[in-house]
Amino acid sequence: MTQVARPAPRRLDAFELPSEPGNERLALARVAETVQGLGLSDARLEKLKTAVAEATMNAIEHGNGNRAEIPVEVEVTQQGDEIVVAISDQGGEAHPSDSSDSDAEEPDLLKKLDGAQSPRGWGLFLIRNMVDAMDITTNGQRHTIWLTVRTGGAAHGEHV
Amino acid sequence: MASMCEATTRVLPGAAVIELSGEVDGSAADVLTDAYRSAVGTNADLGTVVLDFAAVDYINSTGIALIVSVLARARAERRKVVASGLSAHYREIFDITRLSDFIELFPDLDRAVSQLTGPTA
Repeated sequence: MTQVARPAPRRLDAFELPSEPGNERLALARVAETVQGLGLSDARLEKLKTAVAEATMNAIEHGNGNRAEIPVEVEVTQQGDEIVVAISDQGGEAHPSDSSDSDAEEPDLLKKLDGAQSPRGWGLFLIRNMVDAMDITTNGQRHTIWLTVRTGGAAHGEHV
Repeated sequence: MASMCEATTRVLPGAAVIELSGEVDGSAADVLTDAYRSAVGTNADLGTVVLDFAAVDYINSTGIALIVSVLARARAERRKVVASGLSAHYREIFDITRLSDFIELFPDLDRAVSQLTGPTA
């Protein structure tokens, strides 16, 4: 069987942001600018922006504890028809946003309306539904969420 | 770049309208709570609250949580919540979160109001 080698990943952008509430808007604006012209439909771009904003919020609040001096690192790469956004913080293994605590419980709107679940806790759920793949890795204190979107075809759950 | 959430309320026969603008995120908590209180007032007969998002450019997960809280309160008070003016992206988020199972969505405020209060002359 012949295997077709994948093209090497190409770094499109890398930047850091202070861990201050609201800076997720800076991340989404810069990523949107970076991926402009790479073939993402408007709908998929909006989804990527939401995913980047939510992942950056998690990194700022849960990973770095809103400590401005600890930066959130964002890297955008392209490999073939995939765009990958990696968002890293220093939350380590005990990252609250992906542990089994109540914030990471699968959100259930009916439970929330009945008061059996906090109204919050939508972040990871939204991210998972906005991108083609979401992966989380930890290496020591470094915690990274990887968001992958493809530039062709319909996005996860996309209305055609 | 960020624009704070603002709300304008008005009361129609049988329905209250909350027109939101700016960003519906964590900073919108007091605005939304106050707007709901102002819109509903002491009118126990007010059956429907319309949330208009036409001038909203950003909703995040915390904003979704605020909308859930408004919906929970309205349901406890036996009021219906409807929404208008959502972009296609946020309509999809209302679908994914199942908010649209509990909040009827209208393309724009005029259509929401005319449906709720009957056509205007």
